[in-house]
Amino acid sequence: MAIKVEEKQLTLLERLYVLEVVRGIALTTGHFFRNMAVHIARLFGLAKDKKGSTTFQYPEERRPLAPRLRTLHRLTRREDGAPRCVACMMCETVCPAHCISIVAGEHPNPLIEKYPTRFDIDLGLCVFCGYCVEACPEDAIRMDTGVLEFTSFSREGMVYDLNKLLARSETPKPNEESKVKTA
Amino acid sequence: MPTLTIDGQEVTVDAGTTVIQAAEQIGINIPRYCYHPGLSLAGRCRMCLVEIETFPNLQIACYTRAQDEMVVSTTSERVLSARQSMLEFLLSNHPLDCPVCDQSGECDLQNFYMDHGQYQSRFLENKVKKKKAFPIGPHVILDQERCILCTRCVRFTEEVSKSNELGVFNRGSRSVIDLYPTKSLDNPYSGNVIDICPVGALTEREFRFKCRVWYLASQESICTGCSRGCNISLDYNGSRRAYKAGGRRVMRIKPRYNPDINKWWICDEGRFGYGFIDTDRIETPMQRTTSDLEPSDWDPALARVAETVKAAYSEKGANGVGVIVSPQLSNEELLACRELFVEKMKLTNVAALNPWEEPGEADDFLRNADRNPNTKGVEDLGYSGDAKAVLEKAAEGEIEVLIIFRHNLADGEAGKLLEKAKFVVYVGTNWNATAERAHVVLPGATHAEKDGTFTNFEGRVQRFKQALLPIGDSRNDSQIISEMAAKLGYSLPASADEIFEAWKGISLDELSGSGSSVDPDTAVQA
Amino acid sequence: MEYAIDVGKVLFWFSSIMGLASILTWMERKQSAVMQDRIGANRADIFGFRILGLFHIIADSIKMFTKQDFVPAQGNRILHTVAPMIALFFALVGFAAVPFGGTYEIAGYTVSLQVLDLNVGLLFVFAMMSMGIYGFVLGGWASANNYALLGGLRASGQMISYEITMGATVIGTIMVYGTLSLQQMNIAQGELLFGWIPAWGILLQPLGCILFVTAALAETKRVPFDVPEGESEIIGYFVEYSGMRFGMFFLTDFIETVLAAVLTTTLFFGGWQVPYLYAGGFEFPWGGSFELPVVAVMLLQVGAFMAKVFTLCFIFLLIRWTLPRFRWDQLMRLGWTIMLPLSILNIVVTGVVLLIVGN
Repeated sequence: MAIKVEEKQLTLLERLYVLEVVRGIALTTGHFFRNMAVHIARLFGLAKDKKGSTTFQYPEERRPLAPRLRTLHRLTRREDGAPRCVACMMCETVCPAHCISIVAGEHPNPLIEKYPTRFDIDLGLCVFCGYCVEACPEDAIRMDTGVLEFTSFSREGMVYDLNKLLARSETPKPNEESKVKTA
Repeated sequence: MPTLTIDGQEVTVDAGTTVIQAAEQIGINIPRYCYHPGLSLAGRCRMCLVEIETFPNLQIACYTRAQDEMVVSTTSERVLSARQSMLEFLLSNHPLDCPVCDQSGECDLQNFYMDHGQYQSRFLENKVKKKKAFPIGPHVILDQERCILCTRCVRFTEEVSKSNELGVFNRGSRSVIDLYPTKSLDNPYSGNVIDICPVGALTEREFRFKCRVWYLASQESICTGCSRGCNISLDYNGSRRAYKAGGRRVMRIKPRYNPDINKWWICDEGRFGYGFIDTDRIETPMQRTTSDLEPSDWDPALARVAETVKAAYSEKGANGVGVIVSPQLSNEELLACRELFVEKMKLTNVAALNPWEEPGEADDFLRNADRNPNTKGVEDLGYSGDAKAVLEKAAEGEIEVLIIFRHNLADGEAGKLLEKAKFVVYVGTNWNATAERAHVVLPGATHAEKDGTFTNFEGRVQRFKQALLPIGDSRNDSQIISEMAAKLGYSLPASADEIFEAWKGISLDELSGSGSSVDPDTAVQA
Repeated sequence: MEYAIDVGKVLFWFSSIMGLASILTWMERKQSAVMQDRIGANRADIFGFRILGLFHIIADSIKMFTKQDFVPAQGNRILHTVAPMIALFFALVGFAAVPFGGTYEIAGYTVSLQVLDLNVGLLFVFAMMSMGIYGFVLGGWASANNYALLGGLRASGQMISYEITMGATVIGTIMVYGTLSLQQMNIAQGELLFGWIPAWGILLQPLGCILFVTAALAETKRVPFDVPEGESEIIGYFVEYSGMRFGMFFLTDFIETVLAAVLTTTLFFGGWQVPYLYAGGFEFPWGGSFELPVVAVMLLQVGAFMAKVFTLCFIFLLIRWTLPRFRWDQLMRLGWTIMLPLSILNIVVTGVVLLIVGN
């Protein structure tokens, strides 16, 4: 069923446009002078508690991250330090960007049976949808490192292998969770 | 001829038909684990329980014969709750290690549980621990924990392979499938237990962890291992990018049901004989310039062949060129060769068979001694004469140019003769000693990479379909012959379909279908 | 000495315009940032000094000079090169007829603060402004790019549409002051109405002023009239330009903004006039006077002119960063069905009033 949207009827004054333009300009002018006053006051060391802008001056100032934000992947470990991953390829299957590739190997312990001999994530392809985390039956992959910066000068550098992904295997501490970290 | 009603549909079946088969005839698929049409009835799994009016209890559909005026329900509440209970029972000791199980994705336990399972587990006790993941033969791995004791594998070794390696041991929840002492599951048909195992208890060692089954695509094909012509499905990397599988494309071979030839089975040799499709392939045309074979393009390589053939032809006439075709080629390629070399060029030295070839192992079930898929085709298409005579003439210098398809003729006596040949053109798929000795090497396509037909030893013309693109620069042989003919001044069709239609009067698609076969002389569908 | 004065005038006027245009590039970034609760460009520094991001002007010009000078393979190399020059030239040459001060007797010399005193100065400015279109259309055409061509066509369509309104609006002003010379208009705006109100154009022609400012904004091709550039959709006639050639187009934009501000000042805000300031000093209508030397008067008047221009530029930027873009059909409807009839009405009303008042 189509939804009928009631269009707002404009009054004559609004349709004349000029008045609305003036009102708009009054709004922006108000912001300009208020912010300018704060900037000037701060220049002289006054009004330290006020800010003339709502932006963060990255990279000096970093924005707190939401705890659920999807950031760089990590692979978790078992208690004995081995990767928790069993190479079931659920993440590779569900990945819409085809950025994960896994090669499975035979684990000497028949109770574990299968483990990844290779686990590569091509971050150049990854779209950070988080499906891999959702799909994982073993809680082996997470995207909670809080790392947002993982640039590289080469395409190869964007491919994170098993060792790189395991390097951050410990759970980030809660107070660190909200801070951006460099790769 | 009893007539019975299943889920409101009336069906008349032959006397002696069971309810599960009658239901199948009208397209109703009753869940089952232990029942297999190729094996005896066991009635172990109780999964196929159906409700039949006048019977106080639920009956197993696999064992109950259809009778007149039977009224069967496969979807009543009692049946569904029985299925749910059975699944709960079967899973009570199942390890639920689907993430590491190769069967997941094509596992009947998963499939039926999705339809009928009880999703809330009520099992609080400890599961019985059994032996996990140990090889019981050269091709099979057994996981006793995953087993649901349907005994299909036991019955297979008793009734089909008749080798009796497997049995059920212990009692109750501790029952396990295992090998009899001193035995190993090494009969020539051992791979079939992997197919018939409905769960992940028996898995393939070769396929283990190589690929998840949902990545596989499947194409109908014919086994090239021997002249039996068993019907197979080629399972190849479909949706998974090839580089992720290390370049391996064909992942496994499964038998395809054909009641006249191989039923549900296939021998291990055929099942695991797909390696040549992805290894040691000739990927580009090669030419010997000075002393080494060097990669070349199709055009110069074919031009060189044509030039040499023309020169020999003008010098010595029809005797100057020798051709050895192969029973590895499809009927269409053999037809193209016949048209070019025999009918157009009137060559006198055309042979097909390799007299030195070692025969394979044979038995009275599926395996034939002749290891070529199309020997009957070669005979039917009028090729006679043997490679030995042609090779001898080449060695004597009577034949200037020798064109060899597929055969490896570089060993023993043949090798000595081949060494003396003046100019050898090799058309083949894989590197071998003959290819390395040739002056021009032209890469052909394997049966996985082209369309065509083989004629099995009984005279059945069976189609195989293209699953993959020819590797590298290689080409379908009928296309190679067509282009070679063009360079020699003849015009030949290149596509298998065209050649087949000219031969039989029907298109390849009309021939296809599971297990269809054609009498080679009358082109009537059998 | 005469020549020296002429050269000095030209240099002063030219450098003021270019300086103002350059500062506008920085102002646009900083002003919009402050309006939108941001900080704005502040990264370019020399030895750690940032002075509010002013070095970004230098950084930008270094960037533009060192970037690859790209000509599309299918494009017309000559026209592609000439187009931004045409645009820049005609935008600049229009300033010649605009007075930035009155006529002063200093040390025996008569100094008229106007580069070219034409009796048809207004027509000259308008003529030069319309010639500028060629730069944009040629740029769009020579790029061999559909988007660029579309941008060029839009530019020509828009500028022609709004030039008519602009011309029709100014007729009212011409009728009121009875002259086409911009200097004469400025002098006329020094008179007083009813003995105490300065006879500025905005008071005599309020509707004309609004229409003129709107049309002038449209002439600059900036938001809300930036359909020819349409940076978020077709990018515009300069899509295939890079380096300093793009820089010229970019600068032309700001020079046109300055030109719009200068013209508005001259026509409607008294030009270089300061209320009640005459050649000898201030003479207030309520009695009382304040004598000033000629040089001081000159500086005051030139300063007033510059201040007015700067304030108008500020307001133009405010408008540019407040309003959203018009759609093409809205733009045309506004131009042809609202502004043009209104400007003609303005002429009629002005004529009737002039007849009644019997000026």
